[in-house]
Amino acid sequence: MKKLDFLKILVIATETGRVTRKYPYEPPLVSNEFRGKIEIDEKKCIGCGACVIACPPNALELKIEKNILILKYFVGRCIFCWRCVDVCPVKAIRGTSDFELATDNISDLNEAVIHDRNECIECRGNYSTVKQKQYVIEKSPITENYVSKCPDCRRNGFINSIQRRKGGVYAE
Amino acid sequence: MNSSNKTNILEKYREIAESYKGSFSYIKDTVLITVDKNALRDIAETIYWKMDCYHRTCVGVDETPLNGYLALYHIFGDDKNGLNIIVKTITELKNPVIPSIRDIVPAADWCELEAHDLLGIVFENRDLYRLVLPPYWPRDIYPLRKNIPYNYRPEVVYSSERISESTETAVVPIGPYHPALHEPEYFELFVEGEKIVDVKYRGFHVHRGIEKLGESRTTYQQINFLAERICGICGFVHAVCYSQAVEKAANIHVPERARFIRSIALEIERLHSHLLWIGVAAHILGYDTGFMHSWRIRESIMLIAELLTGSRKTYGINLIGGVRRDIDENKIKKVLETLDYVEKDFKKLIDIITSVPEITRRIKDTGVLPKEDARKLSVVGPVARASGLDRDIRRDLPYAAYEYVDFNVPVYDSGDNLARFKVRVDEVFESISIIRQLLSNLPKGPVLNNEFEIPEYKIGVSLVEAPRGEDVHFVITGRGKPYRWRVRAPTYNNIPALKVMLQGCTLADAPLTIASIDPCFSCTDRIVIIDEKGFRRSILLNPFNRKCDLK
Repeated sequence: MKKLDFLKILVIATETGRVTRKYPYEPPLVSNEFRGKIEIDEKKCIGCGACVIACPPNALELKIEKNILILKYFVGRCIFCWRCVDVCPVKAIRGTSDFELATDNISDLNEAVIHDRNECIECRGNYSTVKQKQYVIEKSPITENYVSKCPDCRRNGFINSIQRRKGGVYAE
Repeated sequence: MNSSNKTNILEKYREIAESYKGSFSYIKDTVLITVDKNALRDIAETIYWKMDCYHRTCVGVDETPLNGYLALYHIFGDDKNGLNIIVKTITELKNPVIPSIRDIVPAADWCELEAHDLLGIVFENRDLYRLVLPPYWPRDIYPLRKNIPYNYRPEVVYSSERISESTETAVVPIGPYHPALHEPEYFELFVEGEKIVDVKYRGFHVHRGIEKLGESRTTYQQINFLAERICGICGFVHAVCYSQAVEKAANIHVPERARFIRSIALEIERLHSHLLWIGVAAHILGYDTGFMHSWRIRESIMLIAELLTGSRKTYGINLIGGVRRDIDENKIKKVLETLDYVEKDFKKLIDIITSVPEITRRIKDTGVLPKEDARKLSVVGPVARASGLDRDIRRDLPYAAYEYVDFNVPVYDSGDNLARFKVRVDEVFESISIIRQLLSNLPKGPVLNNEFEIPEYKIGVSLVEAPRGEDVHFVITGRGKPYRWRVRAPTYNNIPALKVMLQGCTLADAPLTIASIDPCFSCTDRIVIIDEKGFRRSILLNPFNRKCDLK
């Protein structure tokens, strides 16, 4: 009888029955915990770029075009790690369990959020985004005059003020 | 190991270092000895044979921006005493010659060639040939030197490599692309009738330059995700190993709960990997029923991996300082239920697989790796344990939460395919028991430590027992990213052993014997050459031309 022991697999096979799922006619294959594609809420996003810095495969990118700033998301590069979800300061990025992303049109894989950039009150150049400026004003008590200048003008202003002060000291 | 014993051992290494006029220092479990290059061969012999250490790997580092020298770090492992012994030696950039230790330490063969290819270190008294880089890569460009940018693309004329021709024996080529192989790899089997008399391996078709990428393109935390993509099966091992190396170098505290979760994920990965391997082994032997059922059981492991981490593979939960996902009571309950079912089902299946006479006859006494050869080549993991070497990093140099659990390390002496099969089967049951222990003792607390600073130019060596054997990551920290990051995958040490296993074996047993080390070629290779248009190119060995050559 021992020679025929391997036939016991038939018992297991009958007990287990069919394990192949009738995808896609059956409910989702993935659990609630599954990390899939991300969604960016245009209304909440402030264009700060925290997600871009955290993103390991550069699926998220910032592009600057004159007075607008574009946050680009390319699903083809995404590794679905949700680091962007972790780091987003305004919770604008939400993870979904969407994984059926195959397409014959590459533009389906691109998403973009367009932001207006601020205009510097001094040099009239563009910097940051309008929404990020509002966010900063709400979050920290910095004078509006200060955040209304671009980083370059802010830096120059600071250096100039130090120089002036120094000069004053030496003059005495 | 008690502390007085440890002091004795460290004192011994200090004596060795001093007798070769070298400097000695140690931090935790890592001893760093710096010697002159002329003393390297002697000290290597003393450490490898007299102190009975294994050779883990060697790492070439371009330290010219720091001190103007090229450095070579040989990493030895004193597993019995839980120590890593790093022997550092330096050489001038103009004439970068370092004595080879290959004849004393056969395990150092490949890593020396790799240092030669990627850093241009010349090893004395040995034959040097291209191992990692393709034949058409320019001779004077060494990709891992700091003056070569990571996105540098030399203008090359693609050329093919010659295949071996022999008038005495027939040459049977396997690969680089073959329906039965899962990854690009190329073996040439020299046969006399049915018997294999010699083997040549040419790998590194998929060297992706990940180390260079990590040193230049990414930040500390991003590399966790890059490291996870080194291997498709044991990715989490690399992520944990990398972050542990940085944590060791920078002395970062990792919360206990995070260490437990890491261990749980690592063991789940081992379970799925071993079940996968047992299925593939059955498939290679033509027993597809076993393959189907093994993978059916594996599927429930994949589902609990998704439940705990959010992804079936490439878990993506590891960061330096901890993990990103916590485990709650519901999940613990579900995992325990699944493990009960898996244990029962797997036991039944293994009883059946081992009762199939064709299977047992084909795996017994084939692909034998004797203990002496295993020791010489410093093989790792199930291959070592099946050849009577009692080594397991989880027990010898405990990391994550392995110091809190009890488990057996299965060791068999016969060194054949059956022994390797048995080791993996036993490990499945051990892993299930480890996960149960970890889940029942899961401590409370945070899972991520975000507050740390990483100082520059500190060395960290970390080891993780992957399903295939020990995985070694070597990190020298830098500003915002590692200065040098070296990965040594387990298969790197095991492939040279195939030569011993295959000699004397019949041709029909070759596929199983190759599979029996559970090879992972992408891990070992770490390149994809991408040309200007973005197409992947692999080594240009035209299989059709080859057939003509052999005629």
